[in-house]
Amino acid sequence: MKKKRSIYLLALLPFLVLTVMYEIIPLIGVVISSFISDENGAVTAANYGTVFSKLLYQKAMQNSLKISTLSSLAGILIAFLGARSYYEKRGKLGQIFMTILNMVSNFAGIPLAFAYMILLGNAGVMVQLGRKMGIDALANFNLYSSNGMTFMYIYFQIPLATLLLIPAFDGIRKEWQEAALLLGAGKGTFWLKVGIPVLMPSILSTFSVLFANALAAYATAYALMMNMLPLLPIQIAGCFVGDVKMQRGLGGALSVVMMLMMVVMIFITNTISRRFQKGEAVK
Amino acid sequence: MKKRKGLSTVFIVIVLIWLLVPLLVSLIYSLFENWAGIVPKGFTLQAYASVLTDPQFGKALLDTVLICIVPILLTNVIVLLALFVVTAYFPRLEKYVQIICMVPYTVQGVILSVSILSLYVGGKGFFASRVVMLTGAYCIIILPYVYQGIRNSMRSVNMPMLLDAAQMLGCSRIEAFFKVVVPNIMSGIIVSSLLAVGIIFGDYVLIRNLAGSTVTNLQMYLYQVMKADSRKSSATFILIMLVMFLITTVVLVLKAKNDKGKKER
Repeated sequence: MKKKRSIYLLALLPFLVLTVMYEIIPLIGVVISSFISDENGAVTAANYGTVFSKLLYQKAMQNSLKISTLSSLAGILIAFLGARSYYEKRGKLGQIFMTILNMVSNFAGIPLAFAYMILLGNAGVMVQLGRKMGIDALANFNLYSSNGMTFMYIYFQIPLATLLLIPAFDGIRKEWQEAALLLGAGKGTFWLKVGIPVLMPSILSTFSVLFANALAAYATAYALMMNMLPLLPIQIAGCFVGDVKMQRGLGGALSVVMMLMMVVMIFITNTISRRFQKGEAVK
Repeated sequence: MKKRKGLSTVFIVIVLIWLLVPLLVSLIYSLFENWAGIVPKGFTLQAYASVLTDPQFGKALLDTVLICIVPILLTNVIVLLALFVVTAYFPRLEKYVQIICMVPYTVQGVILSVSILSLYVGGKGFFASRVVMLTGAYCIIILPYVYQGIRNSMRSVNMPMLLDAAQMLGCSRIEAFFKVVVPNIMSGIIVSSLLAVGIIFGDYVLIRNLAGSTVTNLQMYLYQVMKADSRKSSATFILIMLVMFLITTVVLVLKAKNDKGKKER
């Protein structure tokens, strides 16, 4: 019997070959190469020194963190309100809402950058409209800045976040609302004291998905900015692809920094989430 | 109470407008010759004609379809085999398979592409081929979706029970798996495969970093025309979005059908 069972392990072999070759070894390789000097192949921590001391990479980390955090915060806020509206409304409009969310959930990258250029670029339709109608906020909108980028990132965060949050609202029972109402709580109080704390674990885990999604977004930023605004994913790709010699060490160090940012964010959201699940954060 | 409902409606409508404006503006832009004022002028389908007759577009479309097929088939078969063996014989390994399958979800495209590139680019032969690297990368990037799709369907048909029942009736487990379980979860497999098609269609970073110029997909085509001709690129944009919407619609319809089937059972 024992022998017969182990034959079945053979069926696991393709899975192992694929993941070892294209996931595990490449990722370990990146971590190892981050400790190897690009000049002489010696073992060193100098790559990390470069990452944290060179202005370009400092800027890239700052911009990436700023754009990811802001767009995730805005995304989660809009998604929360959107999912709550869907929870209260449902019906025909709710169905349309769900369909559109699903439709645009793949709308990112190059097409998104293009649509925003047509809309809000230097000669964009909205910008020209703003000039004609004298709306300064539109006329002077600068898409090619970190604020403009944040605004564009919010677009692809909304469908993702809303679709992730909507199922969580099923956990809020209508009876709770009625009970709170009977005890004299308004709707606002109900959401503040009951709804949001109950949803907090879902909100936090969605936030960390959004953050990772924005941090790693490459195509949208690349199509719009090329290299005008330093961002981590673009700097990483630049170390490996392009005219210059491949800088495995430096690119590896940048990759490790980016992965660490994601891991730290997951750790933070998990920690806060656990406090909410235990009920410690609600007083 | 009434007022709250009104507020929800207003909010949903605002979000819908936000999400649809970029699409509508690009659509109008692609259909008119001149849009300098408030009202666009000169309706024409010229931009679409020039995209559809462009041989580069045809090549990009063909490449996009071709590069999808192998990774999706391969990943589905590999994950099916792995999950069968793990659930039927080695339940203790399930946790590790899950971790391996979910890693790409956090690593995402940029790091995955550069790590594969840096490992294989120097070598010679089969594994240093750009197309092979890209295929491997696509297998990994769709792995979380394929894994979740197949695992959820296996759970919903209660695979261990089906296997036991088949075994009692004198059928071997592996035979039961392919003759009973796989046909039953086929619709789940199709849904997650279509999601994977959507991901590969929307990919730019993997194909740019790994394939260089050997394979061009629609996203790369759009990026190239974007620099030259904004009207032609808006037509390309609309065509890409149409393909994407078609895929999503099929997914939604199939999912709704699946759910309905489950409720009736």
